[in-house]
Amino acid sequence: MQSVIRAENLRFAYTRTPVLEDVSFNITSGDYVGLIGPNGGGKTTLLKLLLGLEKGAGKIALFGTPLAKFKDWQKIGYLAQKSPVSQSRFPISAEEVVLMGLPPRRGADVLRAELKEVHEVMRQTRTREYAGRIFHDLSVGQQQRVLLARAIVSKPELLILDEPSTALDASSREMFFDLLGELNEKCGVTILLITHDTGEVGKYISKFMYVDKTLVFFGTKEEFCKSDKVAQKLGAFAQHTIDHLHNHGHCPLGCSCGEKHK
Amino acid sequence: MIGEFLSYGFVQRGLIAGSFAAASCALLGVFLVLKRLSLIGDGMSHVCLTGVAVALLTSANPVYMSVPVVMVSSLGIMKLAQKFKIYGDAAIGIVSAAGLSVGLMITAFAGGFNTDLLGYLFGSILTVTFSEAVLCGLLLAAVLFGLVYFYRDLTSVCFDEPFARTRGVRAGTVNTALVMVTSIAVVLAFKVVGIFLISALIIIPPVSALLVSRTFRQVLWLAACFGVGSVWTGVYLSFVLNIPSGATIILINLICLAGSYIYSKWGIKDVR
Repeated sequence: MQSVIRAENLRFAYTRTPVLEDVSFNITSGDYVGLIGPNGGGKTTLLKLLLGLEKGAGKIALFGTPLAKFKDWQKIGYLAQKSPVSQSRFPISAEEVVLMGLPPRRGADVLRAELKEVHEVMRQTRTREYAGRIFHDLSVGQQQRVLLARAIVSKPELLILDEPSTALDASSREMFFDLLGELNEKCGVTILLITHDTGEVGKYISKFMYVDKTLVFFGTKEEFCKSDKVAQKLGAFAQHTIDHLHNHGHCPLGCSCGEKHK
Repeated sequence: MIGEFLSYGFVQRGLIAGSFAAASCALLGVFLVLKRLSLIGDGMSHVCLTGVAVALLTSANPVYMSVPVVMVSSLGIMKLAQKFKIYGDAAIGIVSAAGLSVGLMITAFAGGFNTDLLGYLFGSILTVTFSEAVLCGLLLAAVLFGLVYFYRDLTSVCFDEPFARTRGVRAGTVNTALVMVTSIAVVLAFKVVGIFLISALIIIPPVSALLVSRTFRQVLWLAACFGVGSVWTGVYLSFVLNIPSGATIILINLICLAGSYIYSKWGIKDVR
């Protein structure tokens, strides 16, 4: 399998206190990785390092190319935790926001082919109906769907998402994760997703990465369920929740982890 | 009356240069306001005082002397914010205070304030020379070219810089270019409204336009129109009423802002 993200000995600190230490992993083509960990554990920082938005120590290669030399950015779709316009009213339509996801081009004109791609992805993400509305005037959930459309409009091979479902209602979340699952299964898109909602997204995820300042766990979800390190980190309450859900007849991660369901 | 007003060569030069400078400031201001960097114009204008003071001391042209001083200072603002991880407004405050105090110190050594310096502080649009008007024209041409050619990069960086960087857009270069061109605009505009009021030409027209526009292109057009309109109206009123042109231009801008606010509250209907 082709390596999509290879990280070796990543280290990062905003001040003198390290945020991340000695993080190494290899995500291969077709993986759907759930990145979990406590608040302040360094998950978002890790994503920023992988995208070159922060500079730390260690080696990162994207699609086999060192990050410093990586140019094929259209292969990557990124959806950040926060909507970019929280206060100022940037007068830009949802359609124009999605257009920003296409590879950069000189000039102010919009090509017909570009519009076609934008409308297609907006239909896919159910945002076509408000294509002409000002992005700022949309609800936070609608904005998040538009930003997902922007992240996938360039038909990326790797999607990096930072808690994308936080602002979504139940039905939007379902649509969101179904779409991600479809992209992963049918189109082979590799996905790295920060989530606290392991239950909802668990059925699609193939691997878990647990980061708490360092890499605690990286492996399949079956291995995750049985990992002593993870159980130690998650603590008694979380373990109890997992046990409770198991006792009610289903694994919270949607896997066949071998637990005996009562 | 208008015919007589327009018949003077110095009025024609002032209006042409003022229109070019105001349009440039307003267009650049749209991006600065949206990036919450609008106060950088204020900081740069204070630094202008150092350039003007050095020029008056050495009998050099204040415009040519101020351009490198302001460009270096604006780079300083950016580096301060990036390297020392301090907030942008604090960095602007530091460089602005440094520029103002150095300027005042040089002025004191040169024998205190004189009428030339007061002209730069409060604007003297009717003393614009032909070469300065040409420079203002070249600046507007450069701004318009950059705006059309790098339209996508600029909007993308202003809207969501981290995402733009993940598209391969050189956000650092875009930001530096924006600030550098703004430095030149600030220097060329200080004859129009004066060092103290330049930042108003950068901030008020874009804010007025943002209040009433439905699209980003509309914002750019309207901001430029507000800027140019205020220069023409302000210079004409100052000519007729014998009042300071710089202050009149800014007051016209404030009236436009008030009108835009009222229109945005009661006039805009979302038809889509």
